[in-house]
Amino acid sequence: MTTAPLTRAQMRADIAAQLGIDPEEIGGGDSLLDLGLDSVRLLKLVTAWEAALPGLDYTRFVEVETLDEWWDIVAETQARA
Amino acid sequence: MTATPLLEEQLGVWYAQRLAPDSPAFNTGQVLFLEGRLDVAALERAVAMLGAEAEALRLRFDETPQRPCQIAGAPAPQLAHRSLEGADDAAAMAAFEAEARVPFDLAAGPAAAFTLWRLGPSRHALTQKLHHLIADGYANLLVTNRLAALYGAQAAGRDPGRPLAPLSRRAEADAAWQADPRRAAERDWWHARLDGMGAVGSPSGQEARPAGPWFHRSELALPPGVSARLCALAERAGIGWPDALTALCAAYLARFSPDRDCVPGIPLMNRMGPKAARVLASLVNILPWRAPLDPQAPLPDWLAAAGADLALLRRHGRYRGESLRRETGRLGGGRRLYGPLINVLPFEPCPRIEGLDTRLEILGAGAVEDMTICFRGTGVAGLRLQVDTNPGLYCAAATAAHAERLRAFLTAAAGAERLADLPSLTPAEHRAHVETRNRTAHPVPATTLAALIAQGLAEEPERPAVVFGDTVLSRAELDRRSLALAADLAARGAGPGTRVAVALPRSADLIVALLGVLRAGAAYVPLDPEDRSARSRDMLERAAPELVLAERGYAPDGLPVLSPADWPAAPRQALPAGPAPDDPAYLLYTSGSTGRPKGVVVSHDAIVNRLLWMRDAYAIGAGDRILQKTPATFDVSVWEFFLPAISGATLVVAPPGAHRDPRALAGLIRQAGVTVAHFVPSMLALFLDVPEARGLRLRHVFASGEALPADLARAFHERIAARLHNLYGPTEAAVDVTFREATGTETGASVPIGRPVWNTRTYVLDDALRPVPDGVPGRLFLAGRQLAQGYHGQPELTAERFLPDPFHPGERMYDTGDIVTADATGALTYLGRADGQVKLNGVRIETGEIEAAALATGTVRQAAAGLWQDAAGSAHLTLWAVPAPGEDAASIRRALTAALPPLLQPGLVACLDALPLSPSGKLDRRALPAPSRTVAARRGLAAGTETLLGRLYGEILGLSDPAGPRTDFFAAGGDSLAAMRLCLAIETETGRDPGLGTLIETPVLSDLARRLDRQAAADHGLGPVLRLPGAGPGTVIAVHPAGGLGWCYRALARELPGLRVIALQSPLLDPGRPDPQSLSQLAADYADLAEDLVPEGPVSLIGWSLGGIIAHAMAAEFEARGRDPGRLCLLDAYPSECWRNEPEPDDGAALRAILAVAGFDPEAHRDLQDVAAVLGFLAARGHPLAALPPQAAAGVIRAVRATNRLVRGHREPVIRGTVRHVHARLEHLRTGFAPDLWLPYCGRLETLSLECHHREMIAPAQASRIASFFSAPATHREAQLQTGHKIRTY
Repeated sequence: MTTAPLTRAQMRADIAAQLGIDPEEIGGGDSLLDLGLDSVRLLKLVTAWEAALPGLDYTRFVEVETLDEWWDIVAETQARA
Repeated sequence: MTATPLLEEQLGVWYAQRLAPDSPAFNTGQVLFLEGRLDVAALERAVAMLGAEAEALRLRFDETPQRPCQIAGAPAPQLAHRSLEGADDAAAMAAFEAEARVPFDLAAGPAAAFTLWRLGPSRHALTQKLHHLIADGYANLLVTNRLAALYGAQAAGRDPGRPLAPLSRRAEADAAWQADPRRAAERDWWHARLDGMGAVGSPSGQEARPAGPWFHRSELALPPGVSARLCALAERAGIGWPDALTALCAAYLARFSPDRDCVPGIPLMNRMGPKAARVLASLVNILPWRAPLDPQAPLPDWLAAAGADLALLRRHGRYRGESLRRETGRLGGGRRLYGPLINVLPFEPCPRIEGLDTRLEILGAGAVEDMTICFRGTGVAGLRLQVDTNPGLYCAAATAAHAERLRAFLTAAAGAERLADLPSLTPAEHRAHVETRNRTAHPVPATTLAALIAQGLAEEPERPAVVFGDTVLSRAELDRRSLALAADLAARGAGPGTRVAVALPRSADLIVALLGVLRAGAAYVPLDPEDRSARSRDMLERAAPELVLAERGYAPDGLPVLSPADWPAAPRQALPAGPAPDDPAYLLYTSGSTGRPKGVVVSHDAIVNRLLWMRDAYAIGAGDRILQKTPATFDVSVWEFFLPAISGATLVVAPPGAHRDPRALAGLIRQAGVTVAHFVPSMLALFLDVPEARGLRLRHVFASGEALPADLARAFHERIAARLHNLYGPTEAAVDVTFREATGTETGASVPIGRPVWNTRTYVLDDALRPVPDGVPGRLFLAGRQLAQGYHGQPELTAERFLPDPFHPGERMYDTGDIVTADATGALTYLGRADGQVKLNGVRIETGEIEAAALATGTVRQAAAGLWQDAAGSAHLTLWAVPAPGEDAASIRRALTAALPPLLQPGLVACLDALPLSPSGKLDRRALPAPSRTVAARRGLAAGTETLLGRLYGEILGLSDPAGPRTDFFAAGGDSLAAMRLCLAIETETGRDPGLGTLIETPVLSDLARRLDRQAAADHGLGPVLRLPGAGPGTVIAVHPAGGLGWCYRALARELPGLRVIALQSPLLDPGRPDPQSLSQLAADYADLAEDLVPEGPVSLIGWSLGGIIAHAMAAEFEARGRDPGRLCLLDAYPSECWRNEPEPDDGAALRAILAVAGFDPEAHRDLQDVAAVLGFLAARGHPLAALPPQAAAGVIRAVRATNRLVRGHREPVIRGTVRHVHARLEHLRTGFAPDLWLPYCGRLETLSLECHHREMIAPAQASRIASFFSAPATHREAQLQTGHKIRTY
């Protein structure tokens, strides 16, 4: 994980590392739930991303379940910051 | 107010809570410490707003006949205030925990509570308690965070943020998932994954039990260095450290399983997605993980594989564990879907609150069914390990030991190459197991049995050495004759290193023969003179003896036979020099798995240790008379034969065959003054059953050869005055190597086998030869001086079973193949065999030997032998066979008769088309059918409780016929809901709620029937207090009629809503209780009891028949004590003056009072003259009173007579209160007894007249009218009363 500005590719790589799969296996519209992501891992991811992007709201991540939706949250937060 | 059914995830919690309504196990609780200036009013408002916002906080729970449900509309929780100012931390935590343990009133709701504890001016603690029905750990966090946001808004005008999601979203999500086509695919995936999974065990080694009311907790920190290295290890494996911890914990838990496997439960939060994220509900889903263990793989490789498997499990994490539990039949009956839970929480969720510093402590996270291992922390920076356990399965010390051991295991794992290298014990435990517990060193001279015998017989030569019937050999005579035989044998070539076979029946000659062989320096080889089988010939051939001591006609091919008639009476030759300590003393054959018995060679040195230990441990001396009854072919006979010679005791030799005749043995023990005897436990059980054994007095009785049941030890001490000792040892270790006195107070199933004897070490090891923790089954290995030299002529087999001792280099240890456990003191308990060996009546049998013999006959193609237990619990040696073409059970049995001695003959032969195989292709022994399966299935329901249960099982399970006696309620399709209905139905029929727990533990119909009968006989049915069905705030005490039983009030109890009926039963039902002196005294005693049962408020009383007289006397007693007597209702009772001149009932009439209690007319059944006839009459009608034990029936007769006597001596006191009297009008057309007979003895009388007879007063038909008469409000009645008139009639 990283403290450089958060990118979609980085997020995808981090998620893949948590799931123990290749980043290529994660499509933008795939349900991360079906890929085996659970809230514990999600919390770990968001905590790490928060270091690069303060103000990230964990609870919003929980409520959606695809990479595209997650990226929207991050992009929106970046725009606000 | 809407009621909605509970969702699947709630049902499990609901049923478990209903099992133990007062248990706080399902409270989740936490405490949040708040440092800084708190705006208390803002917090109060925040709690109120949260309650208004979250519907889940305003739920109550109830059940309809169909199903349990949740109902909206309970009051919202309000912030409570308590002060703990000045309390220290420990006292404060104790107060928080005490509050967390107060159960919720779920029927009233809400299932949530918030309390603010003031600790100081700027120190507070906020406790939050939510029932697991509405919240899991994550939901607790949601609630706290939401509360923090609302507080921020109230206290500082911050944005309150978004509210929690509505509860309906959860139900919608559930409905969508139930309808989702992917659900079926998930179900298939899980079923495939769990296919072939056997019974899931527990580190406790016990069957599953419902969660206790609270749990034990042991908490430790992992050293930071260790957590950092574990994180590095996980990184090397390419998995997250939480998964690495989960996997290692599973590997640790596997060390506690007999099969070294492990199926932990993995809780998944199940919170992803819009439908779940912000709902206040309990969504956590616990799924079984069949952890793939590979002890030999490099640790990072194995962790990578385990992590991938966990990721796979999570991908299928939506399917509910509750569904799996039901679908795979792992509900109740001690069955589990998973063992301990492993929960890694890789974050420290501490809610932030405006203007305050916060710290969170979790008090309880819901029920602990078995064990929950929880890690909290952030990994590298440090981890806290919490081990919570169910107190029903683990004690506090065991819990702490798990935490310590797990920490040692993880510490070792951080630097290990493979799982196999990890210890199961802490270093301190290892030392205790291997060294401390084996400190048995004791000086024993290096000598021989022959030398000890010579020495022993030389002392007091004229005293008797051997008594056999009328034959008595003095010690001098035995010395002379055995020495003469020894010299003769030596002349015939016998000496150290050679063997002499002895095939003589039990006799004085047999003793001379054995001593003679030993003194010649040879080893004796005992053979059964009756056994002429090929097997016996084979044993003799392989022993290759110099000669055989036997009667003429015992014809070993080509071997010289020396029969007792030809033995010299005095030495004719030079005396032999005798053996050396390392020379073999005897060679005993035991059953061998390969089909041939193996000959165990034991040295003088080994047996000398055993005999001198026993002489010393039990102070065996000249005053003792030791019974010899064990056949010489079994090793127990060795001490029987030789201990007398070396201790000055006399040997009493039982006649041949007497060892199988308990009556003859009892007579012999009594008549010959035997002080020391041995029994195999199964023989001891038979022995205790014969009347002749009662009252025998001995010094010591030894039991060995099979597990000694604790019940048997108890029975022993009830019948026989002697110390009882449980000994254990294989033939391969000089008879016995462990010992323990059986006092009859043992709590387990069997008496432990105890601790090692002198110079002996015991190790309990796993398959990798690592010591196992206490309480865990392991293989018993033996080391030390008593080990046999090996198997005669079988060096490979010797090397296989006698291994190098890993803890004492250069020494050997023997692999017993026995499975034992150690307790915390190191005492061992025998559990069973690791291999195919079985024990039948103390005889060791290798099933492989029977199978090999069966195959060798050519009558079978495949064979499996084993013990089969019939319904009565008796074991039968059974052969399951696939017959060769043209063969059947009878021909197989015939063929075996010639091949095997009687002891090894299977009692049952079952012919199958094929042997059942497990998925791995091995013989699945558990799937072998009962040999007399058709008979077993055809057994009908026994009269009484079984018949009743057959009908109820059938009704509730929707079967077309009554269920059979072996029907397992859950296996036959019953679920928790059906289980509750069954309990209700049983309660309705018998008046006793068996308890859901009872049903879950004993789901098999006949087992449940037995248990209910036992319960009925023990606590419920006959005790002084009988609680009848029904619940409510009020209590009515119902006083027994003359027969002493209170069961007659069942129908009435059901009709009294809001009132709990507790019947008092006569103490006279217990034969040990003395007769009361007077009826007033009895009434005073009952008043004491009633005050205990109803500590405050009025005590209402009901009494039928003579019970009414007692109730009236009790009311007088209460008035005298200044206690409000409440209502007094007399059911067709009349003052004692009415009886004073009546004859007292005889035994027959008294006996038939049972019929009256059961609701039958005693006068119509005058033919029933004894207890059996009355109980038979009731059984035939399926009446629960038929279960009355005969001794209780005797108690009924006693109670009838005593109560009648007391009534005749009684004079009614006068009470100020009202008597409510119910009159059986039809009965008294004849007697003229009328309610106003009570007028002189009460302040007021109200009456109800019923068109019935006296005995029908308690029938269901009258119950509702009596109930409404009883419960009608008194004030209402008073208004109707005419002033000045004492009687009011309804």
